Amino acid sequence: MDELLRDFIVETNQHLEEAATQLVLFERDPTDASLIAKIFRLVHTIKGTCSFLGLMRLQHIAHAAETMIGELRNGAAPTQTSVTVVLAAIDRIKQIVEAVEATGAEPEGDDADMIAQLDAQAAMLAASLTGEAVPEAPVAVAAAVAPPPAPETTSELPPQAAPAVPSEAVAPVAATPATVPRPKPAPASAAKTGAAPGARNSETIRVAVDAIERMMQLVSELVLTRNQLLELTRHRQDDAVKSPLQRLSSLTTDLQDAVMRARMQPVERLYANLPRLVRELATECGKKINLVTEGADTELDRQLIEILRDPLTHMIRNSADHGLESPAERAAAGKPEAGEIRVSASHEAGQITITIADDGRGLDIEKIKKKLVSNGTATEQELAKLGEDEIFKFIFAPGFSTAKSVTNVSGRGVGMDVVRSNIESIGGSISMQSKLGRGTKFSMRIPLTLAIAPALIVEASGLRFALPQHAVVEAVGVGQHSGHVIDKVQNALVLRLREEVVPVIDMSQVLGLDQTARQSGEQLVVIMRVGGESFGVIVDQVADVQEVVVKPLSASLAHLKVFTGHTILGDGSVVLILDPGGLAMSIGIEKSGDKKRDVKKESLDADKMRLVMFRAGPGVVKVLPVSLVARIEMVEPGRIEHADGRLTMIHQDRLMPLVPVGSTNFDPSRSYPVLVITDGDLTVGLLVDEIVDIMEESLDVQLSSGGYETIGAAVVRGQAVEFIDVTSYLQSVASSVTRQPAKDGGRRQVLLVHNDAFTRDFLSPMLSAAGYRVTAAASAKEALQVIDQGSHVDAVVTSTDLAGMTGNELASAVRRSPSAREVPVIGLIGTEETYDEADSNALTLRVQAGDRQSLLAGLSDAFKAMQRAEKRSALKSKTKAAA
Amino acid sequence: MTSTAQALPSQRTVSEDINTLTVVANGEVFGLPIQMVQTIFRISSLSRVPLGPPDVAGLVNLRGKIVTAVSLRRRLKMDNDVVEPNALAIGIEHKGEYFCLVVDSVGEVLSLDEGKRIPIPPHFDPERLRLTTEFYRAGTMLIPVLDVNALFEFGK
Repeated sequence: MDELLRDFIVETNQHLEEAATQLVLFERDPTDASLIAKIFRLVHTIKGTCSFLGLMRLQHIAHAAETMIGELRNGAAPTQTSVTVVLAAIDRIKQIVEAVEATGAEPEGDDADMIAQLDAQAAMLAASLTGEAVPEAPVAVAAAVAPPPAPETTSELPPQAAPAVPSEAVAPVAATPATVPRPKPAPASAAKTGAAPGARNSETIRVAVDAIERMMQLVSELVLTRNQLLELTRHRQDDAVKSPLQRLSSLTTDLQDAVMRARMQPVERLYANLPRLVRELATECGKKINLVTEGADTELDRQLIEILRDPLTHMIRNSADHGLESPAERAAAGKPEAGEIRVSASHEAGQITITIADDGRGLDIEKIKKKLVSNGTATEQELAKLGEDEIFKFIFAPGFSTAKSVTNVSGRGVGMDVVRSNIESIGGSISMQSKLGRGTKFSMRIPLTLAIAPALIVEASGLRFALPQHAVVEAVGVGQHSGHVIDKVQNALVLRLREEVVPVIDMSQVLGLDQTARQSGEQLVVIMRVGGESFGVIVDQVADVQEVVVKPLSASLAHLKVFTGHTILGDGSVVLILDPGGLAMSIGIEKSGDKKRDVKKESLDADKMRLVMFRAGPGVVKVLPVSLVARIEMVEPGRIEHADGRLTMIHQDRLMPLVPVGSTNFDPSRSYPVLVITDGDLTVGLLVDEIVDIMEESLDVQLSSGGYETIGAAVVRGQAVEFIDVTSYLQSVASSVTRQPAKDGGRRQVLLVHNDAFTRDFLSPMLSAAGYRVTAAASAKEALQVIDQGSHVDAVVTSTDLAGMTGNELASAVRRSPSAREVPVIGLIGTEETYDEADSNALTLRVQAGDRQSLLAGLSDAFKAMQRAEKRSALKSKTKAAA
Repeated sequence: MTSTAQALPSQRTVSEDINTLTVVANGEVFGLPIQMVQTIFRISSLSRVPLGPPDVAGLVNLRGKIVTAVSLRRRLKMDNDVVEPNALAIGIEHKGEYFCLVVDSVGEVLSLDEGKRIPIPPHFDPERLRLTTEFYRAGTMLIPVLDVNALFEFGK
């Protein structure tokens, strides 16, 4: 293609983009004469270049548009239609320019319709300007005037062969606006335009993107070679070489910097088409929207700008369509009629943060939950256990939409997952915050550039790999001499890190490396975070941190999901770059839709419980819910002491009583695992022989054993286990409370409500051992949800002191539900709790929290009473029916 | 990256003399179409590719370019060759990717003319035949000409 034509296309596209933006601004603020002057100038330039290049179609549209804009410049007030028409004209010009770009010539086509519209608008504006008509009249005039020229021109246009237009044929079109009385703006404007834009142009030249890319590549290679040289000379004391090398090194760094900067573009480029987008969305959705953009001068790698364009557009569509309310709704909510979408960019800590915030209705968490339940992603109980943030994460799951109807704008449920994967593919992350009624805010964190990234060089089994730093959270030493220990649970590795349990993979294993080459001793776990999920990777050591130039893998290796690319390090060796996402996948964390899976498997599965299995004394393996265990500690022989006929040890500066579980014969010469159990002030260590496993299983305690210290037996993975009774151990060190197994025939459904996980975890197995089916709820709200949902509940056992509600209030609330009017509610009273008789009249019974015998007896009595009542009412209805 | 991509000669329809570079792997001689050969070099260091195709010996830094090294011995299922530094490799570009074929030694450039071409003996190992285009007589030897396209295509 002609060099000139190519320049024209690039330039015209820029001008068009700018003109569209300015026009939208002008529509909002018609008093700003500088805006319309600018638009006029832009369109005028386009027209001029077109005629110079012989692009007649473009010239005619541009001319008609110019004429119309000229009227605006002369002071006519813009109407929404006039702006829409100009925008449409700009679109048409864009289309033609695109075709020119593809084929090198103007495509065939007829623009008479467009030109007629522009002319009609021009005439109308001119009329309004001369003040010959009242505001409404021009519309009528326009309507009357517009149709005639249209057919007239079309009739004359067909013979027009697009590129080479006989100028006579189009003359009438051009002439039409000329007939409208107006001063000649064109020459005047040309004179005016001359001065202003010239100043800016002198400082810039246009460079092809390819040229910059090539420079970037060369610089990358240069950086690598420099690094190699530095590595070679590091151990040599040759000053003659050293100082020029130093200079070369710093020059290379500067050059790299300069080229990087040349690739940088202000985020403004990303913002350029937003005003128009928002204007269109506002019209489409019938809303008033103000767009606020901030940080337009923040610079970002041009490649990233292109990648971000679609996600940003998508999120703005979402905000406009779902986020913002209609003007009426807003007014009703006491908000200004016009909603606001605020897009801001800022640079922090080597990353760019772009946020898209609206002041709309916010996300309705209940609606999301409902949707999740209805499409089978999760059940209501499962969701009840999740925090708001976790539920919001479902927004990023594939196919999710809460929109009631699919609109033209959005609501098809394709999108946020794509947005997320787009952002993650460039090493960024996206998060969301939302307040019901206040608005929603999406934040994207994006690396500055893709080409060069800092990476940890890690070693595993003698091989080196690069781990992109953006995904790395920290590195933790593990082994005998550091505080952290990796446990093997069900053949999988986990690291207990502060309060979290982090899944861990062994890099050597994942990569199938020869583990004999591995150095023994201290290892490191690199903690990474991908898509909100943390995991650890075991490596032998972190050798270095280097800036690496990411080169994509060749096609024959591209199928390896754990690698994203390769690079050459300073010493000239090639290393593979690990893909954090791929590693996460190898551990079972999926990039998107991961929640769906996790939810099903772990936290949400109501029946499942994390259990620690251990051996203690003779007999079967014993189990305990992990939630009851504060820590598991390996205690060396010397630390356990006999005192007062009891075993004790110092634990966190306090004397902790130890109780051997089962009849473990204490052998003072070996070390023991100790399960530390805490309940309030009471701490006890359970001395066991061996920890077998930690697993997640549903626990069905089948029979209540008569033995002290066990609640019952259960089958876990086909193996009989004993469920030990923690309270008995706690009590054995505090005071002794007698315990009697309770028996009750029916499989009644008991809803257990307690804020305290500890209490829930020890009461639910006990209740199920007594033959009840137990649903546990962590709060009054959760409990009421269970009931409202229509789940059958035979009895409620609740703490009398729930957060935000007393047991009595809960009882009343429960009974308000038609299905639970007769349900007995038993209140558990804390040891130091006092209660007011009058305040607990809704409770069927109150028992001390620790007094399980009374609780079981109470439940049993309540059910017997219920049975009697049921029989009575059944009898009554029978007699009634008989009568 | 300068445009070094050459039009690959259509191998099945060779009708004139072809020049081949002979290479030796495990004592056997093979021919490589000479126009495919870009460079011959010794591997200085090699980075293994875990989980990669078994025939890929690793990645090599060849003057700033990352080259995928393929062991000819492994490729022909001769043995489980472990490529050591200092091994001899032939740089070949294939479909825009840089490869090098690790061989035991390099022989001479032979001109093989059409008249010396022989039909492929039917009892040859089909796995190996997949990697060769044709067979030529050269003196007392029978030289299979390697198919570069097949050499560097790894089934996923």
